[in-house]
Amino acid sequence: MSRISVVKQITVNEIGLGSTLFVGDLVEVKPRSKALAIQREVANFYGNEGNLDSYAIFSRPIPIPSIYEDVKMEICSSNPFIKVGTVDILSISSSSLMQVGSNRTIDAETRTKHIRQLLPKDQKGT
Amino acid sequence: MNMQVENKELTVGSVQITGVSSSSVFLIGDTQCITLSSIFDTPPESLIIGPLVPLAAEK
Repeated sequence: MSRISVVKQITVNEIGLGSTLFVGDLVEVKPRSKALAIQREVANFYGNEGNLDSYAIFSRPIPIPSIYEDVKMEICSSNPFIKVGTVDILSISSSSLMQVGSNRTIDAETRTKHIRQLLPKDQKGT
Repeated sequence: MNMQVENKELTVGSVQITGVSSSSVFLIGDTQCITLSSIFDTPPESLIIGPLVPLAAEK
């Protein structure tokens, strides 16, 4: 039923943070990533910092729109190929997926908490 | 609802992408169900102005 994907050339510079480049068929993919993005005026970072449990964003449920309509889909593939010449990607990141091939279910989730830490006015430039 | 799909010839010359990020998908192929969620939090209290105190350590 699903088609065959043909790609001549793939160039990807970087894959990071729970992402995948998959060549082939898959049944189910479930990538997850949790990130604490801290920006500091003075870039002092300690290796053991950051506790994800203390922020609600990393555990709260994400609402998913419900499907209330029963959809019946009939697919007829008169041409069994998907042909692509070249693919050029700079980066794949934060539980993303690049796949060449077929798939049944993709369920990706990213949670990011962004915090900025700035110095008070009187401590600036010291 | 009934939906009829006919896949005819699909040929693409080249694809150039800068970034696939935050629960995104770039798929060359067929699929049935895709659920992508991404939540991002920058509330006002996440802007901390004060002496640089390190965050609580991981357990």
